[in-house]
Amino acid sequence: MDFGSFLAAPEIKVKIVTYRDIFQNKAMIEDRFGEEYKNTSALIKMDSADLKQMSVKKGDTVIVKNSFGNIVVKVEESGYETPHKGIAYMPNSPWSNMLVSDETNGTGVPKFKDIEATVTSAKGAKVTDLEF
Amino acid sequence: MEGNYYVCTGCGLLCDDIEVELEKDAVSKVYTACRVGVAHMKEGSREAVSQVDGKPAEEAAAIEKAAEILKNAKNPLIFGLGTSTNEAQKKAIELAKKLNATLDDTSSFCLGPVVEALLQEKFNTCTLDDVRHKGDVMIFWGADPSDSHPRHLSKFSYFPRGEQKQRGWEEERTAIAIDIRKSHTAKICGSNFFQIPPGGDTEFINALIDGVSGKLPKTSYKFPPKRLLELANILKGAKFGTIFMGLGLLYSLESLDPIIKLVEVLNEKAKGEFHLIPVVGHYNMRGFNENLFAETGYVNCVKFENGEAKHGPEYSTVEALKAKAVDAALIIGSDPLASLPRSIVKNLLDIPIISIDPCETLTSRKAKVYFSTAVTGVECGGSATRMDGVEVKFDPILEAKRPTDEEILTKIMEAL
Repeated sequence: MDFGSFLAAPEIKVKIVTYRDIFQNKAMIEDRFGEEYKNTSALIKMDSADLKQMSVKKGDTVIVKNSFGNIVVKVEESGYETPHKGIAYMPNSPWSNMLVSDETNGTGVPKFKDIEATVTSAKGAKVTDLEF
Repeated sequence: MEGNYYVCTGCGLLCDDIEVELEKDAVSKVYTACRVGVAHMKEGSREAVSQVDGKPAEEAAAIEKAAEILKNAKNPLIFGLGTSTNEAQKKAIELAKKLNATLDDTSSFCLGPVVEALLQEKFNTCTLDDVRHKGDVMIFWGADPSDSHPRHLSKFSYFPRGEQKQRGWEEERTAIAIDIRKSHTAKICGSNFFQIPPGGDTEFINALIDGVSGKLPKTSYKFPPKRLLELANILKGAKFGTIFMGLGLLYSLESLDPIIKLVEVLNEKAKGEFHLIPVVGHYNMRGFNENLFAETGYVNCVKFENGEAKHGPEYSTVEALKAKAVDAALIIGSDPLASLPRSIVKNLLDIPIISIDPCETLTSRKAKVYFSTAVTGVECGGSATRMDGVEVKFDPILEAKRPTDEEILTKIMEAL
């Protein structure tokens, strides 16, 4: 059993795969600093069992972090029929890019679709702002 | 095209059947385009803005400052250009030569390797029009055009009638998705969706090669051999098959060899021909690859020295920034502060940035010099190369209130 499940605020290890979303793409073109882009980008989709283990529900905020970054985003159930515990999905965005490793093995290609991170409840903290 | 049809430069499909209505010098309605295209085509008509140090400046002063930054740099980086016309891209290549600059576009961390292999004729390819007219089997592999290229299936690859496909998708076309998740495109493919684990593509390709070659297909993740053989049979029966290769597949492969081999084997074993088309994102990424290839023999990641191009991953934007090898950046139509890993792109903040972009972006906000330029296809015309290599010419819809990126690049070059 995952040790995290015994903690008061269980932390779940995930592998994050990024993807494209038409609504997010449209929102970026209209206003990349706007609320719609933030709402369609700063989110993570997880297996319902992972949400249950973290004691969070759809729309809650979670902290997603690794040694490269630490962000607060909204969590959703993926809705995929096939269970995918431990695999999470994020739209490709400046938020997901805050977690991408700088290790490229000299190839020039970062692992945009292969991010290891932990997720835990943000206990109501606000979504990370888009700034540099 | 005849009549009042316009080209949408919102993605690599370059849809050429767009109608618009204007109101007060702006596009008010867009017909035929997808959701992304509508947003894109309404983007134009903004006022010209030039900034130096975040403050409004005369264009001439901003040009002078940009030229000064580039002149003082020992190894400037020129990056972006996926949303520039062929004409602007050629100008940027000329500028890179003059400056002995490092020149790269987003394709170095995107589908560039596939376009490179295509230009080197390492696999069989075709046009999207060929697929519309003849295609009977199409595989969307690690690609979700329903989200990234919304009219891919409706204008070209699956739903439309074609010259030799008069009964269309209902009877004559089979769409297949191979992906790690049930994307919107995978949903359309119904029972022809093959879900594989992350990183499982190479094994799946090898198993499929075995399947079409009459061997028992096996994977370490125990994908049901029966289903693999069903897929192999569909592919073997294809008269005109196409693999649409997306980033999901590319990022999962250590080399392109397995997918190139699969296309070769399918061409031997299938009833008809098999092709591969990279599902290129930006409207003129392939144009940049082809223009640079014609000039240097490379599609990206070059460093000019006395007119000669050196090439290698160390000249990619990512490696050049990681190694802090570049000391100024001219960024055209791209927002690397948003699209690259923060762990790497943070180094961009240590060097002066010149941003040329129709939109305000994270990168333009941090730029020493910023030029707001015309949206191509809306405020200016030109030509571009579609994801399948077809050249598309387009006219502006509106009279531009702001300069083109090509004009700004020309002025910077003159000021050097």
